[in-house]
Amino acid sequence: MSDVNNGISRRSVLKGAAIGGAGLVAGGSLLAGCGKKQVTGDVHFTIRGNLSDAGAKIAIAANDAYTKKTGNKVISQAVNSDDFQNNFVQIMQGTPDDAFGWMAGWRTNARADAGLLADVSDQVKALGSSLSAAAIQGATNPSDGKQYIIPTTYYPWGLHYRKSTMQELGLNPESIATWDDLIKLCEATQKKGLVGYALGDKGGWEAMGTFDILNMRLNGYQFHIDLLNGKEKWTDAKVVDVFTHMGQLIPYMNKNVLDISWDGMRDLLLQKKCGAMMMGSWFANDFKAKSQEDYDDLWIVPFPEINPEHGIDSIDAPLDGISVAANGKNPEGGADLAGFLGSKEGIDAAVAAGDTNIYISSDFDTSSYDAFNKQKLAVLGAAKNIGFFLDRDTRGDFAGPVVGPAIQSFLKNPKDLTKILESTQAQWDALPAL
Amino acid sequence: MKTAAVNRNVRSRRSLSRNDRFTLSAFVGIPTLLQIVFLWFPTLVTVVLSFTYWNGINVSDIKWAGLANYKNIFFGSPVFYDALKNNVVWLLWFTFIATPLGILLAYQFDRKIKGHQIYETIFYMPVVLSLAIIGIIWNFMLQPGGFVQGVMGRDIGNAVSIWGNYSINSYVIMAVASWRHIGYIMLLYLAGLKAFDSSLREASAIDGATEWQTFRKIIFPTMRPVNVIILVITIIDSLRAFDLVYIIYGTSTAWPLLNILAFQNFAGQGISMKGAAYSVIALVLCVVPILVYLRNVFKEDLE
Repeated sequence: MSDVNNGISRRSVLKGAAIGGAGLVAGGSLLAGCGKKQVTGDVHFTIRGNLSDAGAKIAIAANDAYTKKTGNKVISQAVNSDDFQNNFVQIMQGTPDDAFGWMAGWRTNARADAGLLADVSDQVKALGSSLSAAAIQGATNPSDGKQYIIPTTYYPWGLHYRKSTMQELGLNPESIATWDDLIKLCEATQKKGLVGYALGDKGGWEAMGTFDILNMRLNGYQFHIDLLNGKEKWTDAKVVDVFTHMGQLIPYMNKNVLDISWDGMRDLLLQKKCGAMMMGSWFANDFKAKSQEDYDDLWIVPFPEINPEHGIDSIDAPLDGISVAANGKNPEGGADLAGFLGSKEGIDAAVAAGDTNIYISSDFDTSSYDAFNKQKLAVLGAAKNIGFFLDRDTRGDFAGPVVGPAIQSFLKNPKDLTKILESTQAQWDALPAL
Repeated sequence: MKTAAVNRNVRSRRSLSRNDRFTLSAFVGIPTLLQIVFLWFPTLVTVVLSFTYWNGINVSDIKWAGLANYKNIFFGSPVFYDALKNNVVWLLWFTFIATPLGILLAYQFDRKIKGHQIYETIFYMPVVLSLAIIGIIWNFMLQPGGFVQGVMGRDIGNAVSIWGNYSINSYVIMAVASWRHIGYIMLLYLAGLKAFDSSLREASAIDGATEWQTFRKIIFPTMRPVNVIILVITIIDSLRAFDLVYIIYGTSTAWPLLNILAFQNFAGQGISMKGAAYSVIALVLCVVPILVYLRNVFKEDLE
């Protein structure tokens, strides 16, 4: 596993988005790419999620805009996100839909190396300067320098909370600067009968967000990435320290961590049952779908500093986008649709349908961002190093089958830590060479 | 004797017309072919793959791994022993609790107790549902935000931990699985009892045998063929358990079973042939006790 794609600092992604409207100057040129060749034929598109989700409605709206523009029909189907990810290799080897929402990092690069994804470098080129160099770098497969995903959106992992809840409690998470502050916040929240630190880990990946940030805060970004790529040991005292900190949060967690998944966490916050929650901001779409009032109440702050050496210089900010199946019926059409979804027209259609994601494209006018999105940009801007999230930063046969159960075991029985870490390291050592 | 048998064989073979032979070979040949193609071939491939490293995509990437996957499982993956424990608990529960309960119910209903048809229907009802559906139903009932939690007045924040509470979740899963298994066993046993010669029971009653003695000494031994089927079903159902738990927990191994581990490693996001090795272990555990048991049974029958 190469760490080339991880090793870069993608601060300029953020800059690119932050300066927003400035990129509009270049706006005219990018449409040129779309008109160069007329692609025809139906395009099949997979929506990751349930049709009832806010995200599905947004995807359908954007696809409709594509049909309106090109006359090519888009046939969308919704597939449970976890099922799609788990069966990805099988689906891609069968008769996959032409295009689908996907995630940059290991999941794209390893599958591209195996010949399952179509090269979309041309479409990325056509999007031109609307994508910052760093965004393109993040979407580039280090083994051949081509892009297999058109990066569209990204989001920060941070502490989410409801402003109204915190106000009622007389707390202000924006003022927390240190680990002790966070613990005090959790304690105060819990005293008022709410969940101090909401977590669900039934899915096995949700708590990875907490692990990632603790590791990056305590030991720094480089150690984190090195650990995930086998250059550091899980038995290291530094990793023990990460779990010790996670252990300090356990008393403030809901008592049913292993009973609920990410949607349970979302509902805890939605129903005002918890204080702070470490999560990726993508779930905000569901808040907006519930009501504008709920959405306006949502806020995010960076996870506080723990080790002054690293401050708050790192964050998980997974890069999402559209990939095209190599074995689809109409890969050209898929690539065309993917290019459209990454362009200004596609983004406008999605935003009009209620998308709260922040877009990488500088063609999108960030001055129209609402307060929450501006805050997301601020949280991202505070970081200099960006991780993609544990299950995209390390091997797929390690993240899900090994790290997921290891964290679950720890949450179940924190006393077993030494055994858990030894076994995690042993299982890394037993992995075959890639 | 011997010649007679040979003669009979010769005669019966001769008496097969061309048509008969065609029908016979079609009836035996086609299922055999299907079995070989869809069962034996994949099984064999899985066994071979369990000794390799492979990511499941390009055949040219397959590398010989020897026993590495098995070593990794037996010495490096504590979750394997959790799964094994859960499978064994499942087997013990089914063998000593669920199956006897099914037999008991069948025995009671066979005596035509008042309203037995209603009871039979009630207990049989879950059998028409697949375990996957049963998983969905009970997950909806018991998960945080589910029906039962709602009735108890618990919201997501303070929902009673069931699936994630390791002192009770095994029992809850066993109870849910038994909900179907008991009815299934009851039906099989009831069918057997219907064919039971009631004069045997009357005779034992006249001889002054108690209810329990009659069951243990007369009915149970006479029901031997049904007992064998039930035992085999119980063992196989316990070791192949997957769907119910998969519906509740997904691929995360929060409550692992051998087949869940196989699926997670074989069909998950990072495919590795450790999954094939898990499948082979499950296969051996499934097949060996059954083969041994069946062999014993047939041997006794021959004697």
